[in-house]
Amino acid sequence: MEEIDFKVAPESKIKKKPSYIKPWLGLKYLFKKPVTIKIPYEKTQIAEKYRGFHSLDWKKCIGCNFCGQICPARAIEMTWIEVNGKAEKRPHPKIDYGRCTFCQFCVDVCPTGALGFVSNYMLTTEWREEELLLYDWVPIHPDKIKEINEKYPDYRFPVSKIEFNKETKEVTYYLRDGEVFKFRILGYGVRPPAAAKPKPAAPKTGEAKKEQG
Amino acid sequence: MVSQSELIKEARENGMDLLPLDKDTYELFFGPQHMATENFSIILKMDGHRVVKAIANPGFLHRGFEKLAELRPWYTNIALLLRICVPEPDVPEMIYSMAVEEIMGWEVPERAQWIRTVVLEMARVSAYLFWTMGMAFKLGVYTAGQWAAAYRERFMALFEELTGARVYHIYTIPGGVRRDIPGDKWLRQLKDTVEYVKSKLPDFDHLIFENYITFRRMEGIGVMDKKFALEEGVTGPNLRATGVPYDVRRADPYLLYPELDFEVPVLKEGDALSRALIRRYELEQDLYILEQLLEMGPPSGPYKIQDPRLKNLPRFKVPAGDAFAHVESTKGDFGAYVVSDGGNKPYRVQIRGPSIAHGIRVLEQLLVGARIADVPVILVSLDNCPPDIDR
Repeated sequence: MEEIDFKVAPESKIKKKPSYIKPWLGLKYLFKKPVTIKIPYEKTQIAEKYRGFHSLDWKKCIGCNFCGQICPARAIEMTWIEVNGKAEKRPHPKIDYGRCTFCQFCVDVCPTGALGFVSNYMLTTEWREEELLLYDWVPIHPDKIKEINEKYPDYRFPVSKIEFNKETKEVTYYLRDGEVFKFRILGYGVRPPAAAKPKPAAPKTGEAKKEQG
Repeated sequence: MVSQSELIKEARENGMDLLPLDKDTYELFFGPQHMATENFSIILKMDGHRVVKAIANPGFLHRGFEKLAELRPWYTNIALLLRICVPEPDVPEMIYSMAVEEIMGWEVPERAQWIRTVVLEMARVSAYLFWTMGMAFKLGVYTAGQWAAAYRERFMALFEELTGARVYHIYTIPGGVRRDIPGDKWLRQLKDTVEYVKSKLPDFDHLIFENYITFRRMEGIGVMDKKFALEEGVTGPNLRATGVPYDVRRADPYLLYPELDFEVPVLKEGDALSRALIRRYELEQDLYILEQLLEMGPPSGPYKIQDPRLKNLPRFKVPAGDAFAHVESTKGDFGAYVVSDGGNKPYRVQIRGPSIAHGIRVLEQLLVGARIADVPVILVSLDNCPPDIDR
C-alpha cells in the first residue's frame, strides 16, 4: 500500500477556509422560481418505459410458468380460467401486487411476449377486504389498457373495482371506462384442475382450489 | 416505605432481577425513530452532556438476504440483493454480477462496460448528494439539504429514462445490462445535468463546506487515527481521511476505471470535517469522471452477452466454483462472495457491506467523550448505512 502509482489530490485543493460572509450568498435564490411541481394541477412526465403494471395477451400466453419460476417475490401464480363458459386451454399468470417488486424479469423471460408492462403505476385503496382484491389480478390485454390510458392519462390502475364471488368463483373486473369483464377461476397451479371437465359437484371444485391467500 | 434491599429480595423471589441503578450516569436511547439515526439505534450512557459509553444496537433491518439468496435462481437474486444498499442500489447488483461473471468466465461486451461505469458513477453522484442532504439536515442547514435533494432528482429522472425505475433500478445483470441507452437524447440530457450540478457545487461550498459554523461543529470531532482505522477494517472516504491513499478503483481496477483520469483525495486529520471535505471533493471528481466518459462516448456493440445457456433463464446453471468481487462505493469497499455448487441457485451469497466496519465498533469508540450534540454529526460523517450492517 505504500507505493502510490495514482494521482492523489493535493491537500490545498480539498481543504477549505471557514468564512463568515459566504453563507449569506445562499440568499440569492430568494427571488428565483422554485423547482417544485404542483402535483394535482401540473403533470409529471414519466419515462416511456417506466416499469409499472403488467399486461397480458391471453391469446399468446401458453402457460409455460417461466414467469412463475423467475419471479423473485413469488408473486405469480398460474390460474385456470373459464371465459363465457369456455375454459382456456392453458393457465394464465395471476399477479399479486402485494408481493410484486416490479423488476419485470417475468416480462424479459416470457418466450412468446405475451406478458408485457405498461407505465401505469398508481394503485391506492383503503384497508377494506373487497378493495384489497384489486392487488391480485390476471392482467388484461395491452390494447385495452392503452385505450383506457388515452381516456384517463393519469397513470392509474386500469381497473377500478374487482369483485370475487367465493361460491361460484366468478371474478368481475369493472374497468375504468365502464366496461365489465367476467371470468371464472377453475383452479390454481400448473396442473389442470381435476374438477374442470365434469364440474357437477361443489365439494370437488372446492378441493381442487387452494384457498386464495 | 420499603427499603431497596427489601425490594430486591422480593423481586428475586418472584424471579425478577432488579439491576442496581447507576446514580452518576443516565442512559439515552438514540432509537430508530430519531431523525439522525435512520433505522439504527445507539444506547448512550451519559455523564452530563458527555458520552461515557456507547453501544451500537443494529438489527432493525435484518431481512436475511443470505438465506433468501440461496432459495432463488441466479438471475432473480439481482432483484433481491440490491436492497442491501438503499442510497446506491447499483453497487450490490454490480458486485454480484461481477462475481457471477468471474465464475462463468464471461467477458462483458465493451458497450456494457461503458454503460456500467456510467451507471456506477451516476449512483455515486446521487449517493453523495443524498449524503449532503442528510448531513445538512443533521447540521440544521435545511436549505443546502433541499438543494441536494432537488439536484439528486435530476439524476433520478435520468435513471428512470435509462432503467425504468427511480431508485431500485434492477439494471445490471450477469453478462451485461438489461436495456440499451435510450438514444442520443439521453446522453445530451446527462451532459446537461452534469454541467448543471457542477455549476451548483460552489453554492454547497458557500452554505456548508465553507461555513464557519460547520467548522466549529465538525473540527476535531470523532478523530480516528491511521492504525486504528486499518485495524478495524474501515474503508472508503473514512479511511482516506486518516491519510491512507487507498481506493478500490485504483488498487484493484475494474470496468473502465484504468482509462479514466481522476484524483483520489487524502487528508491526514481523520476528524469529522476531513471526512466531509473528502466526500465533497469526490463528488466533484465523480462529475469530472462522468464528463470524461461522455467525451469517450459509448462504443458500439451488444449491451448483453450472447450465450445459448441463457435461453432458459430459470434453469440457468453456473458451474461450481466461487468468486469474490468488490467495488468502491461511497461508503467504502463493498464486496460480494458467491459460491456455486453447479446448480440453478447459488449455494451461498455473502455481501460485505462497508458500514459493518465503521458502523459498530468504530462508532462506539469514536463516540466516547463526545458531546451529545456531536453524536449525530459523527454518525453522519461516517456515512453509516444501516441496511449494510443488518442485511
